[in-house]
Amino acid sequence: MTSPELRKIQRRDFIMDRKPIIEIKDLTFTYITKTVSEPAIRDINLTIYEGEYVALMGLNGSGKTTLQLCLNGVIPNMITGDYIGTVLVDGKDTFETPVREMAKAVGMVFDNPAFQMSQMFVAEEVALGMESLGISHDEMHARVPKALQLVGLEGLEDRSPFELSGGQQQRLAIASALAMEPKIVVMDEPTSNVDPIGKEEVFSVAEKLNRERNMTVVMAEHEVEVIAAYANRVVVMEKGRIVLNGTPQEVFSHVEDFHRMQLRLPQVTEFAYQLEKSGLADFHGVYPITLGEAEAAFKDLLG
Amino acid sequence: MHGVAIPITMIPGNSIIHRTNPLAKLIWVVGYLVLAFLTRNPLVLGILTLLGLILVQMAHIWRGFLMVMRVLVPISLMLIVLQSIAPAFPRPWSPIISFAGLTIYREGIYSGLSLLLRITSVTTIAMILIMTSHPSDLFTSMQKVGMPYVLNFILTMTLQLIPILQQEFAVVLSAQKSRGLKGTGFGAVLPSMVPVFVGAIERVQQLSISLESRAFGSQGAKTSYREVAVTPKDYVIGAVGTILTIIGAYWIIVNSAALDWSRTMVFAPYFALTLFLGAFIGFFIFIVIVFRSILQA
Amino acid sequence: MATPILKVENLQHVYPGGVVALRDVNLEIKPAEIVGVIGQNGSGKTTLVKHFNNLLKPTTGKVYFNGDDTAPLTVQQMSKNVGYVYQNPNQQLFARTVQAELEFGPRNLGVSEEEIQERCENAVEFFGLQELREKHPYRIGFPLRKLVGMASIYTMKPAVFILDEPTTGQDNITTQTVYRLIRRLRDEGATVVCVAHDMILLAEVVDRLIVMRDSLLIADGKPREIFSNHELLASTHLMPPQITELSLRMRKNGSASSPICLSVDEYLNAVKQLRAK
Repeated sequence: MTSPELRKIQRRDFIMDRKPIIEIKDLTFTYITKTVSEPAIRDINLTIYEGEYVALMGLNGSGKTTLQLCLNGVIPNMITGDYIGTVLVDGKDTFETPVREMAKAVGMVFDNPAFQMSQMFVAEEVALGMESLGISHDEMHARVPKALQLVGLEGLEDRSPFELSGGQQQRLAIASALAMEPKIVVMDEPTSNVDPIGKEEVFSVAEKLNRERNMTVVMAEHEVEVIAAYANRVVVMEKGRIVLNGTPQEVFSHVEDFHRMQLRLPQVTEFAYQLEKSGLADFHGVYPITLGEAEAAFKDLLG
Repeated sequence: MHGVAIPITMIPGNSIIHRTNPLAKLIWVVGYLVLAFLTRNPLVLGILTLLGLILVQMAHIWRGFLMVMRVLVPISLMLIVLQSIAPAFPRPWSPIISFAGLTIYREGIYSGLSLLLRITSVTTIAMILIMTSHPSDLFTSMQKVGMPYVLNFILTMTLQLIPILQQEFAVVLSAQKSRGLKGTGFGAVLPSMVPVFVGAIERVQQLSISLESRAFGSQGAKTSYREVAVTPKDYVIGAVGTILTIIGAYWIIVNSAALDWSRTMVFAPYFALTLFLGAFIGFFIFIVIVFRSILQA
Repeated sequence: MATPILKVENLQHVYPGGVVALRDVNLEIKPAEIVGVIGQNGSGKTTLVKHFNNLLKPTTGKVYFNGDDTAPLTVQQMSKNVGYVYQNPNQQLFARTVQAELEFGPRNLGVSEEEIQERCENAVEFFGLQELREKHPYRIGFPLRKLVGMASIYTMKPAVFILDEPTTGQDNITTQTVYRLIRRLRDEGATVVCVAHDMILLAEVVDRLIVMRDSLLIADGKPREIFSNHELLASTHLMPPQITELSLRMRKNGSASSPICLSVDEYLNAVKQLRAK
């Protein structure tokens, strides 16, 4: 059985055993601005299962950030606008549940590492959310080292967050979210302002959280090769709507859609598509998406 | 803007004062405030100031302390200048010497000196508190005695932001120089400041969503991760401070008549004149230095 | 041999506080080259390029622009010849309209009003900013703002462009635009020096790669050579673009005559040629 087919079956089994943790029905949201504007996201219907690693893709302005902000209730509770539809996260309706309650289920990390820091010590940054929730002193002191260990920052408790590298700061932001023991971690382009080593660190943490701790990860990213390697689901947005939704395998095979949207594909996928188009190979529309798959697929062709 | 940075911040050290709990030190600050405002007697205020200087020595924070004082004292010199010729005091006033149409009064010199010493003594003890306590410890302690949690956050954030914004300003200046920006006139202000402001606003926007997502600002009791140690010596220092304040206050109130030297203190005319002119010149020089460093930035 | 447009001789830079950021760097850049400078954060790559327009001055060693020692010049004086585009456009943009941003640089250089307008027209056409001229720079999206940042240096017509991470934070459309622009700059005779982590930029657009590590210049060569050198790249924690890595692995496991390719198109053509035989 070829690798792409194996993946399809794996995902089927995967969701058969899991329960939905995010259920979005007919979600449409329009920001309030001075001029009449279009909805930022429209008619979103999406179900995400516990333990999935979901990659959110799309151009700037396609609605990724808006969608993510709906997942913990920041939209509509902190950012108001025209809100239609329902979002159920871990059984809670985000429209009615206060954001502080949602914070216990959903952790959020944003694209600028330094802009999320505010405290004088790494440990205090991790504990920030817990302080607001009134969690006991002893419990806080138990959770901080655990959270730091999950992201690989143990030993840095007494450093200033502002002295850390971009990758470290982003991992600290993740630790700060993890301290509230959420089931879901949502990340909005977490590596766009981070150097390559930091990118590796962040992706590695996300992957570890997903694989070892069964955390549901929803990550908006452009790093298409990483998505192909780690995600088990890809959701592509265009002008506020979801246009593709499936395994990386399934989604990246829609090469012409990606071309139309001017989104990048993994180079090996693009290569396979071009080979097929030139009549030099036949992949039956199922292209390799990682280096490993490409090596196997092209062995006879190029060796 | 480079030359006028006033470093009112913690100076690391291991003196006994550094190791004292901020609340105990806060008691002393309050004590000083009470005593300094209960009297105008220059001797009492002078003793308070001297005691403060002894504490500065014990904490070994002279460098930072003097950096603050060299800004504060010249500004306060203006007080002497103004008070000398127009005392904030009930009449009658006793003139000491007149020149160039101005008259220097005894009550004015007295008043000016007391105010100067009052400011100096209170500032000294406040600087001791600030320069020997880690801000995080200080704010946590203040929160314990009732300061709102959000205020703690605002103070913490502000302290962090000041060096960040200074750095950002330097970067923006370099960036604009790379576009040929010359000089320091008005034309240079906008290109140098707007990017810093925009950066600060973007930071605040993302930070506020990040905080909200971490349950910040929710209602209900807040706990504190950071704990500041309280040792027996802190209780002793706090108690001593409280007792000295109470005794001092009592003694001052009881002897307030005898302590009022405003009508009895004698200032030699040349002393008064020298003091007045010296204060005026000192203040003037200070203003010139400040203007020059602003223009050079 | 023509005078190099930029030359660096025994360059050393030590930051106040003692951190050695550059050690004994020697480098010559010819006019109309597109040079990529790569290395991890802390390797000295940004420190190096900041010497090209005097944002930093050498602790020891010399920097030459077109044969002249740059030491006596200020950043403002250098800006006529060497333009520096910051990674974060927000650090350079402040005006009320994009048009005003474009005019700022040349005006500082004392260019005549007529010439300024002509240069702005040119820049608007080159960067495709027609719709954005009267817009406030902060009301346009970040990727387009980065283009405005580049355009506002373009109107100064420097001989050398230094681009600090021109495609970081960009989406695919603007990234492709930047690649196109870099090539056009070179076609117009400008020299371009990019500090970047974008492996595709470094493989497909750049002529020459300079690799920095631990404040030393450890390699200088064509992208094909540099990317084939696995130990070199591994020591700097850099990976070649996916397609190049594929071609390297195919070469290793298959035949030694298998080509090393820097882009999808190149590999495609190589396969076509092989099959045609």
